[in-house]
Amino acid sequence: MTLLPIADVNVEAVSIFAVVVAVTLAITYWASKRTTDATTFWAAGRGITGAQNGFAIAGDYMSAASFLGIAGLIFLFGFDGFLYSVGFLVAFLVVLYLLAEKMRNSGKFTMADVLSFRLNERPARTAAALGTLCVVAFYLIAQMVGAGILIQALVGIDFSLAVLLTGIFMLCYVVFGGMLATTWVQIIKAVLLMTATVVLSLFVLGKMGWNPVDLFNRAQAQSDNPGGYLEPGLRFTNPVDTISLGIALLLGTAGLPHILMRFFTVPDAKAARSSVVWATALIGAFYVMTTFLGFGARAILGEAGATGGVDEAGNLAAPLLAQEVGGGAGTAGGDAFLAIIAAVAFATILAVVAGLVISASGAVAHDVWSNVIRKGHDSEREEVHVARIAAAVIGAIAIAIAIIGGETLNVSYMVGLAFAVAASANFPALLLALTWRRFNTTGAVVGVLAGAITSIGLVLIGPDVRADPIIELSQPAIISVPVGFLGCILGTLLSRREVKADHEFGELWVRSETGLGAEVPVNGGGPTPRPRRRTAEPVGTARQ
Amino acid sequence: MADGAAGGSTHHPDIDWEAAERSPEFRELVQKRRSFVIPALAFVFIWYFGFIVLAGYAPGFMGESIYEGFTVGYALALTQFVMTWFLGWLYLRRADRVFDPLARRASERALAASRAAAPATETPAGGPRLDPAADRTGTSGERVRRS
Repeated sequence: MTLLPIADVNVEAVSIFAVVVAVTLAITYWASKRTTDATTFWAAGRGITGAQNGFAIAGDYMSAASFLGIAGLIFLFGFDGFLYSVGFLVAFLVVLYLLAEKMRNSGKFTMADVLSFRLNERPARTAAALGTLCVVAFYLIAQMVGAGILIQALVGIDFSLAVLLTGIFMLCYVVFGGMLATTWVQIIKAVLLMTATVVLSLFVLGKMGWNPVDLFNRAQAQSDNPGGYLEPGLRFTNPVDTISLGIALLLGTAGLPHILMRFFTVPDAKAARSSVVWATALIGAFYVMTTFLGFGARAILGEAGATGGVDEAGNLAAPLLAQEVGGGAGTAGGDAFLAIIAAVAFATILAVVAGLVISASGAVAHDVWSNVIRKGHDSEREEVHVARIAAAVIGAIAIAIAIIGGETLNVSYMVGLAFAVAASANFPALLLALTWRRFNTTGAVVGVLAGAITSIGLVLIGPDVRADPIIELSQPAIISVPVGFLGCILGTLLSRREVKADHEFGELWVRSETGLGAEVPVNGGGPTPRPRRRTAEPVGTARQ
Repeated sequence: MADGAAGGSTHHPDIDWEAAERSPEFRELVQKRRSFVIPALAFVFIWYFGFIVLAGYAPGFMGESIYEGFTVGYALALTQFVMTWFLGWLYLRRADRVFDPLARRASERALAASRAAAPATETPAGGPRLDPAADRTGTSGERVRRS
């Protein structure tokens, strides 16, 4: 099955893939030499700078779903596609104001470290690990399936082989290079993606005579529904769904474990917050440009009579646009541009799945194995060893599900579900653990479970899954986020006050606000970590 | 390695956190940060959900052309981008100028107080000084000895 007018295997695309893979594997080799302890494996030695982490967050966040997916949604639905971009971006203000610095100051390797800081270690950690794994499972499988479909369409290799290759390269980065390799893969991907998007946007604007407003008009003229193309409502006919999606996007980012984990890789809170602002600059610029791609694909492919080549989900709008502005199918320029976009899409997927797998292996090895099963009595070497095994197993399961479930799995609703679970299960518990003194273990466990069950349950009985939906709501967040918060609050108020949670809140609060006592960087993790002025005092000397 | 693998975040029972929490520097830090974050976040929520609600319930209005096909909806969407960049930058500036110096002073005060109080871990009134963190730090100490 080839959706594009290309020969079976696109040799140019494969050669560019090979270069990307060679460079990233070389980085992985370099990283593996340095990954000797747990702090380097999980947190890149906390030596990543704010700007580097900003690029890495952008690389972790801008999945193929946003690069190809949003361009495709705008191509198909006009304005409604742009709603996603707005939500994905504004969400970072919630992360910046409520979580970024506090995570860096109070956590160690995973989201669960923050949640369980003052709560009963085992139940709180298990709940946080569960929340992490739910989000990662949906997100990861969606990305793997997306990878398979795209690579099959763009490069001409078989779906199963494409998924397998993606999985194997991703596992190499994570298992051998840990967070250090994953971070650099994300940085490289962000640079490639931004460059490709800028070039493609310039081509589109050039075709429009450098008049962006003309782009809207020409796109509208080519739409199947010219009256509604520049208005909301083509994709979301139910306004409640629009609002519900808005909630999931705004709060979901603040509960995505692979994004939150990135804050442990920088030396201090200052770097954590500057990395968020770097990320918003990159991600915002990128989403502004996706409009040029989406509307441009509609206008230019429409005028060339080539919209028929775009698949139903719209994922091929951007690659086909590249081919068209490069000179058209069959020309050297067109094929080269298509191959470059295909390779960028591939790098994009690799970076995102690597970030997801390292956060899932954190939940399994650091949270469940080391702290719940072994109760903190294992050695650092054992934890890293278990982490590598966990990453390999998680990766293998994801590859298997993606290949078996194959193209029947609906990618877009799985990503939506990941955001809804993150917003409903992870975000409320994390926020209340950091800000509400009375919050206790029961509240955390009830909140995470209530949020996860409600959001997954609503999707299962909703119109995306059932032919005869029990509830006419395809986006669960408008119900599941309040349920998550309510679960946390009622669970807390209806159970006994926990002396330890109350008492240690002071430590968590002061630490999260000031950075006093925060985990310090190790040497050799990355480019020269700055000494932490605020904790120059060796506060870690526990009295024995 | 001091930053041992097992266990969560390292606890520091040698610091008097209750006193740190009550110190005027910390109070001022929390108050100043709140007086920035709460209004800013309220504005973000109003502006963002206002946009989303309009997109949901007033598609006609959002589709009105301001200038040759450049619509109200698109203009409002762009204001969301500008808002994110501006409020992000504003927070960075304020954190560098106001929050960080206060945080540093609050930390220094807490460390100085702990040093003065040591070795007798005498705490001012304010409830029993339970030490539930001791067992956790105990395990991490054990590990340091082992490795």
